[in-house]
Amino acid sequence: MRFLRSRLPAAALCLCLGWWLWRGLFFSCCELDGPAAHYVANTASETGASNIVSAILFDYRGFDTLGEATVIYTTVCGVALMFSRSRFRRSGWGLSFIVRRGLGLVVPFLMLYAFSIVIMGHLTPGGGFQGGAVFATVTILFCIVYGSSFEASRISPKTKETLESSGALVFTLVGLFGLAQGSGFLSNIGAGFPAGSLGSLMSAGSIPLLNFAIAMKVGAGLSTLFYSMVKILEDPVEGPPPEV
Amino acid sequence: MTVYLVGFICAFLVFTAIVAAEAEDILSSVITLSVFGVLLAILFALFRAPDVALTQAIINSGLVTSLFLVAYSQTEKRREFDSDRKDDLK
Repeated sequence: MRFLRSRLPAAALCLCLGWWLWRGLFFSCCELDGPAAHYVANTASETGASNIVSAILFDYRGFDTLGEATVIYTTVCGVALMFSRSRFRRSGWGLSFIVRRGLGLVVPFLMLYAFSIVIMGHLTPGGGFQGGAVFATVTILFCIVYGSSFEASRISPKTKETLESSGALVFTLVGLFGLAQGSGFLSNIGAGFPAGSLGSLMSAGSIPLLNFAIAMKVGAGLSTLFYSMVKILEDPVEGPPPEV
Repeated sequence: MTVYLVGFICAFLVFTAIVAAEAEDILSSVITLSVFGVLLAILFALFRAPDVALTQAIINSGLVTSLFLVAYSQTEKRREFDSDRKDDLK
């Protein structure tokens, strides 16, 4: 009872906040104003991208995206540093034969899905970050189902490092190209990138390039993050357990 | 129709959040959190924010859950601490 009474003010506050948000959702007006109205009206003509979110992320606010990518890079560096020398107990050697075969069937479709999210980031919902996260999920599934040594033998940690760094490099180089053209860091159509026709695959200037750079960066980064947490769980001396 | 669907999902969101916060077992807490993430992704999709829905679905039910599970399997469980805490809460 004391337990309930101590939580009562917090529960009342949560209910009030929830009612407030609910009212705001269903009883507010639906007119856009300020920058939102400008983005909805002018994105197609200014950037050539049909996905407004992607246009904002990689064109209007491209420098913020570079900062976010740097945050992820710093996080990955910190985790890899923290888990570089310690040794914990062994967790597992992968799962059974059925799960291994099943994952083998699913993985090509997962990769295709990730690739389509990245390559059509300027047309449909999605983009570099989401596609990279799906790539990272595939490598995490490898780690869990086949064991992390298999994952390291297929995609070596060195390759991931190179991928992540080259993603950051491509992003910065595209930005510097705009600077060299005299129209500002990360500028898109103004720097001479072709806008293409709205809605086609080859459109929106530098946005697909930046999508690929971010996908490489996020995919390799999150994959390294997970791998550095599980790699020490397996003891190579002990050997795998007998097949069940 | 949409209002009822949104209300239903919101009620389940509150339910899963409370279960995730109050569950004694960390493992069931993590699983409930991933269910919470999927429901939130459905809600975002209903509110016509497919970009956020995609990110939420991938990050919360894929990456965060697996990272939590790895952290769970790597840390030591201290039984005496848990039982102390249970007594304290009663």
